[in-house]
Amino acid sequence: MPPAERKSLPARFEPGDRVRVKELPNLYYSRTQMYVRGVIGTVAVCTYTDLKPEDEAWSRDDAPYEQYYIIRFRQKDLWAEYPFDKDTLQTELPDSWLEPVTA
Amino acid sequence: MAHDHDHEHDHDGGHPAAPMVAEVTDFEILEIAVRELAIEKGLFTVDEHRKFTEWAESIGPASGSRLVAKAWTDPAFKARVLADATKASLEVGIDWSQPTGFGTPSDYTEFRVLEDTPTLHHVIVCTLCSCYPRPMLGHSPYWYRSPNYRRRIVRWPRQVLAEFGLILPPEIEIRVEDSNQKCRFMVLPLRPAGTEGWTEQQLAEIVTRDCMIGVALPRADRKADDVRPVHAALRPVPHEEAGR
Amino acid sequence: MSSAGNPSEADPKATEAQRQDFRRVALLDAMRREGRAWADIAPPCGVADPEPPWKTCLDATCECLDAGGALPSLDRRLAEDALAEAMYGDVPNPERQLLALVHTMLSRGLIGEAELARRVGIVRSRLAA
Repeated sequence: MPPAERKSLPARFEPGDRVRVKELPNLYYSRTQMYVRGVIGTVAVCTYTDLKPEDEAWSRDDAPYEQYYIIRFRQKDLWAEYPFDKDTLQTELPDSWLEPVTA
Repeated sequence: MAHDHDHEHDHDGGHPAAPMVAEVTDFEILEIAVRELAIEKGLFTVDEHRKFTEWAESIGPASGSRLVAKAWTDPAFKARVLADATKASLEVGIDWSQPTGFGTPSDYTEFRVLEDTPTLHHVIVCTLCSCYPRPMLGHSPYWYRSPNYRRRIVRWPRQVLAEFGLILPPEIEIRVEDSNQKCRFMVLPLRPAGTEGWTEQQLAEIVTRDCMIGVALPRADRKADDVRPVHAALRPVPHEEAGR
Repeated sequence: MSSAGNPSEADPKATEAQRQDFRRVALLDAMRREGRAWADIAPPCGVADPEPPWKTCLDATCECLDAGGALPSLDRRLAEDALAEAMYGDVPNPERQLLALVHTMLSRGLIGEAELARRVGIVRSRLAA
C-alpha cells in the first residue's frame, strides 16, 4: 500500500463522471492502451493512489501519486461497427491521462 | 520411445509427435549454467530450487474456488468480498500483501472481484502483458498469455467466448475487464441451478479456473476433477493379462 | 567487469541506482545479439506456449536467491528495469529477465565472468552430446 504521507495530486473525478482519454505520445513507456485513446468513457470506481506508470518506469519515486480510476467504455465507442449495444469494457487509468467531458 | 505405425492414433506415442522446439538455445544453456554455479557456490541448494519449481508448477485455482463457494453460501462474506476483496481474501488464506512472490511480483496490487448477474457477464484479460490474479488462481493458462486471446477478447468478445463454447444472448451485457495497472480481477459467477442445499465443499468443486476467468459458466454436472481422458492401450502389457 | 568476484568493493550503503553496473559483458552481449529467443523459434515449430520450458527454473532461481538473501527480489527487479532500459531492451522476455539476472549476479560478485563462460561451455557440450 502506498504510504499515507506521500504527496498525492487531488482526484479530479468521481464515479459517474464522463471523461476522455488523452491522446498523448508514448514517451518510451505507457500502460494506456492505444485502443482507448481519444475515447470517452465513464468513471466506474476510484481505486487507489500511486505513481503513474511513466514515472514508475523511470524510478521517479519523488513524483506525486495520482488517483487511479476504473473507466467503463461502451464497446460501440471503442470499435467501429461493434454490433452489440449493451457490451462494455473496463480498464484502469491514472488521473493525468484523463480530461473532463463537459458537453 | 517405440514407434508404431498406426496413423490414426497420433496421441498414443505414434508419429507425428506433438510439436516441440528441438533447438537448444543459448538462453536455455545460460539458465542451466547460472543455476549450477549458484548451487555450487552455496547460494542455494538443489532441494531448495526443486521446492520452488514443484510448488510453482502445482499451485492451482483452489483458493479462488473456495472464495466463490463461500460467497455463494454466506451473504455476509459476499458483501465483504465486494466491498474489499483484498481483505476478504484473508478469510480463504490468501494474503495479497505477501504475494506468491513468484517471477516478477508487483509491489502493490489491489484485488477486486467482479460479480456476474443475470444480465451481466464479466471476462478478464490483460492486453498489455499477462496480469492474472495469481495468488487466487495459480498460474495462468497458456492461452490467456497468447496474443490471440489478448488481442481478440477486447475486440470480438462474443466470438472468442463462443470459441470456448460459451454463447450468451445479446440481452446479457458482456463486460471485458482489461487489467492494465495494479488491480487484479477475478469473476464471481452466478451459482448454477441444481446446486440447492450443496455444501461449500461441493460447490467449490464445480468452480473451475475458466469460470473465474469468465470464459465458462459453472454447471452442477461438471467438476474440476471430472473425467480425464483415459486411452486403452492398443497392445496391453502381457502381465496385465496374466494377473486376471 | 572488474568488480566481478570482488563483492567487498560494493558499498553496502549505495543505492541500487548508484550500484548499477552498465558495463558490457562479452558473453551476455553475444547472446543478446545472436541468441535465438523463444518468441522467435517457437511459433514456426507450431508450439503455442508463450514461455519456454526453462522459465519456471529461472523464476525458482530468482526466488532462491531472494530467500537465501543473496539477491533480494526488489533489488533484482529494479536492476532488471534499469538494465532493460539501458542494455537489453531489444531482447524479449523471459530472455531479457535472464540476461539481466546474470548481469546483476556478475556485478554483485555472486558469480565470476570467467567461471560462467567456462560453465556455459560445459553445459553446451553436455546438451549436444
